[in-house]
Amino acid sequence: MSGLIRFLEIGCRHVWAVLSARAQFSISKLVCAGCLALALALPAPTAWAGNDQIAVFYPDIGPPYRGIFEEMVKGVEDKLGRDIYSYPVRSTTDTDDLRNNLTSQHTGVIIALGRQGLKSANMVNGDIRLVVGGVMTVPDEDARKQPVISLTPDPELLFRHMKNLRPGTKRVFAVYNPAYNSWVMKLAGKAAKSLGLELVLLEAQDVRTAVQHYKKIFDEADSKRDTVWLPQDPTSVEESSVLPLILQKSWSKGVAVFSSNFNHVRRGVLFSLFPDNIGLGGSLAVLAQDILESKNKKVEGIYPLRDVVSVGNQRTAKHLGIDGGDFDMSVPQ
Amino acid sequence: MSKPDNVVIAKWLTLASLLLTCHQVNAQSDMEDLAMLYGDKSFISIATGSAQPIARAPSVATVVTSEDIAAIGANDLDEVLETVPGLHVSRSPIGYNPIYSIRGIATQFNPQVLMLINGIPITGAYVGNRSQIWAGMPVENIARIEVIRGPGSALYGADAFSGVINIITKTAGDVQGAQVGARVGSFNTRDGWMQYGNTVGDFKIAAYVRAGQTDGQKNTIDADAATLTGNPSYAPGTLYLGRDAIDGRFDISNEKWQLRAGYQRRYNAETGAGVASALDPVGTNFGERINADLTYTEQNLIPDLGVTAQISYLHLVEKSDLTLFPPGYTVTPPGITYPNGLIGNPYKWERHYRFNLSANYSGVDNHKLRFGAGTQTDDMYRIQDSNNFLTPPIVVDVTDTLPFMTPHNRRVSFAYAQDEWNFTQDWYLTAGIRQDRYSDFGQTTNPRIALVWDTAYNMTSKLLYGKAFRPPSFAELYNINNPVATGNQDLNPETNETVELAFDWQVKNGLHANLNLFRYHMKDILRFAPKAGTAALVAQNTGRQHGSGGEVELVWDASATLRLSGNYAYQRSIDEASNQDAGNAPSHQAYGRADWHFLQGWNLNTQFNYVAGRKREPGDLRPRIADYHTVDMTLRNGGHDSDLSYAFSVRNLFDADAREPSPAPGLIPDDLPLAPREWRVELNYKL
Repeated sequence: MSGLIRFLEIGCRHVWAVLSARAQFSISKLVCAGCLALALALPAPTAWAGNDQIAVFYPDIGPPYRGIFEEMVKGVEDKLGRDIYSYPVRSTTDTDDLRNNLTSQHTGVIIALGRQGLKSANMVNGDIRLVVGGVMTVPDEDARKQPVISLTPDPELLFRHMKNLRPGTKRVFAVYNPAYNSWVMKLAGKAAKSLGLELVLLEAQDVRTAVQHYKKIFDEADSKRDTVWLPQDPTSVEESSVLPLILQKSWSKGVAVFSSNFNHVRRGVLFSLFPDNIGLGGSLAVLAQDILESKNKKVEGIYPLRDVVSVGNQRTAKHLGIDGGDFDMSVPQ
Repeated sequence: MSKPDNVVIAKWLTLASLLLTCHQVNAQSDMEDLAMLYGDKSFISIATGSAQPIARAPSVATVVTSEDIAAIGANDLDEVLETVPGLHVSRSPIGYNPIYSIRGIATQFNPQVLMLINGIPITGAYVGNRSQIWAGMPVENIARIEVIRGPGSALYGADAFSGVINIITKTAGDVQGAQVGARVGSFNTRDGWMQYGNTVGDFKIAAYVRAGQTDGQKNTIDADAATLTGNPSYAPGTLYLGRDAIDGRFDISNEKWQLRAGYQRRYNAETGAGVASALDPVGTNFGERINADLTYTEQNLIPDLGVTAQISYLHLVEKSDLTLFPPGYTVTPPGITYPNGLIGNPYKWERHYRFNLSANYSGVDNHKLRFGAGTQTDDMYRIQDSNNFLTPPIVVDVTDTLPFMTPHNRRVSFAYAQDEWNFTQDWYLTAGIRQDRYSDFGQTTNPRIALVWDTAYNMTSKLLYGKAFRPPSFAELYNINNPVATGNQDLNPETNETVELAFDWQVKNGLHANLNLFRYHMKDILRFAPKAGTAALVAQNTGRQHGSGGEVELVWDASATLRLSGNYAYQRSIDEASNQDAGNAPSHQAYGRADWHFLQGWNLNTQFNYVAGRKREPGDLRPRIADYHTVDMTLRNGGHDSDLSYAFSVRNLFDADAREPSPAPGLIPDDLPLAPREWRVELNYKL
């Protein structure tokens, strides 16, 4: 009898093992099904899924402007030490296609260059973080959400360069329209203070007021100590009547004028700072890396351009008695 | 072109443009931003380092960019050069070879203009010009053309006499990607080309390949040299301007090195109005030009010193198979008849080597010094000649017996120095001098001085003096067996001295003006002239010519979408032997152009050219040649946002009967007609 019981005991255990395994299987199936249901219902957190790639969007335009954006892309790649996916985009580019590509490439950050790059990036995926570059400005509500490196050169670099060219410089005059670039003027104030310069800001909301300011500035300026800064501002630096007046007075009084708008250097302004496109690409890459590595860190705001190259007008420099050799590039005469 | 075809093309273009316009809307805001920041596109190439350095010399210069070339719908270099103030493109009967007449200095073979490609001369030794088998030069691969009017020998040496034309080809930065293009037009003209430009690692690479063909315009020549001598003639008959062409260029560079190579082949090139001014329907020409150069540049060998070293090589082949006069041609005396026509087949091969070193030094305050030295070898190393001149009708190889020339070479060494001295605020004095030593005729020294005053923030004034030379060509030195053009080894170079006054005035934003005034004096002009003791015409330094004139230019941005530009040139030149007008070159030339960007990416260009006041050469008794004016229009879609760009052009819109003078004494009495109204369509696609 004990043998039979023993056999039954073993058999039961075996049966129980099988039965319980099946039960466990069913239960785990239920659990798995539940998990799956939950998983499908919730969006997959991208950081957790390992989305650590950087992609670049840039405007699909023709030469020579295209070369500017291509240099920025090269700068990104040089900084990261690897090739990245770069997409030339237009208003008609298929955003579904882009979205699919970005997802399959595990893109975590898009570097959006130019207005079109930013527009396309915004249309593609609200969850992928953005870093913006190669734009003049961005509407304020967008600026708060993502970091933007503007094409406006940092006033600190402009003032520093002017001091190098004319060490006796003590005062910088600027006429500006408060409707544009007030953020730049704040930076300018800090920069002047750190360099021991006095910054005199004069507001002008129309061309007539701007002209009056400039006349007064040049009448009273001391060519050895005073300089004039032209911000990126279509009112105060209006091209057809204000700029010629500034250039003529600068020439006859020997007062140096420098500008945030590098187009002015050809017209006769002493110097400006010019985007170093490759360097800018590198800085954008660093911002993108910061976002990827510190996933919750709020990297945002609008930064001025610090990757710059100086461009000077040799003819003006010679006239003002300034050594033209200190510019990275010169405008041909 | 029949009307229905014109209508079809117009409809197709309208449809295509409608389809493509929708692409353009958003990208324009990026372009507007960048255009505002960078301004002129040329600034971008300077900024991105893709512009080649201009050999800057205080002189009177005109720069034509690739944008200008595209806007005016030019398909050949000559159409572009005609727009330069003070430069008029005339024609030789020989293949309608261009004669670049600058400020009244123009001769049939036109060696007085130096043509450079990327700063390197393409001069052939035979007649000292660009080639007798020119047959055009395409323009798609040209980044810009710099034309310096006036003497340039103090920097460039030989032939920079009436002017220098420097053609700069596109580099990787100018092309940015790969493109294909094609063009069709009147006279069965067809061209196809590919351009490529890219940066690969540290290297920038650019390449260009093109093939083209045309049947040429078919204007009628009413009478020619055969007619005038009472011989059988193909006149009245058409011109023969058909030709096939292949061009290629390659350019690879890194920070310090640049290697370039080029190939130009012209074949089945017809004879124009005939090499002897008698129509030649069967004559055919082959020309080939191969060039290569290697340049090393070190910007800062030691502080303030930059050096450049360059070697270059040029190989030229010209083969002509000509029936100079038609079958039945008789020479009396001695009464020899040529039943197959007067046949001559001159072939020549040349090679040219150059080596030069140049340095610029800015270590002395207020001075910019330039030095250079170099050598060159011009070697016409092979001649082949066959003709039936003495043995009609049989064509005999006369290479070893009575060729037009035997192989010759010359060696040249040169050195130059120049200083630009900023001696007081706003004043610059440039003084330069160059000496060339030729193994055949001896040496020549050519100075120049320029005084430049930065007059105001928007005006520069210049006073310039320069002396230039043109060495005797191999034909003038070594021609043999040619009674109308016999060589003479005892020759001096031609000289030209010029004084110029120039003003450059940015009147206001969007209005730019230039005024240039000049006087020149040419001496020792080389001509084939009678010589005592021989019946032949022998090369001699016999001529003197002086002249004066001026050019005025204006560029006006009349509105954001409309740019008007133009120039007017006046010159008067006197041949001193006869005290008469030197002839042929226009006294007045006016050029006007309007560029209307009526829509983003679109440009409508209209050009107007007026050529007037051309007197005959001394001894040419024909009545004055008529003045003419022509109008051209080009509609171009720039393809800024799309991959496809296209253009439609009409040249000589009003079908003017424009003619260029045939040489004295008028073997082609009714002169050389230019093309009637013609159309072109061009497509470019970015790959």
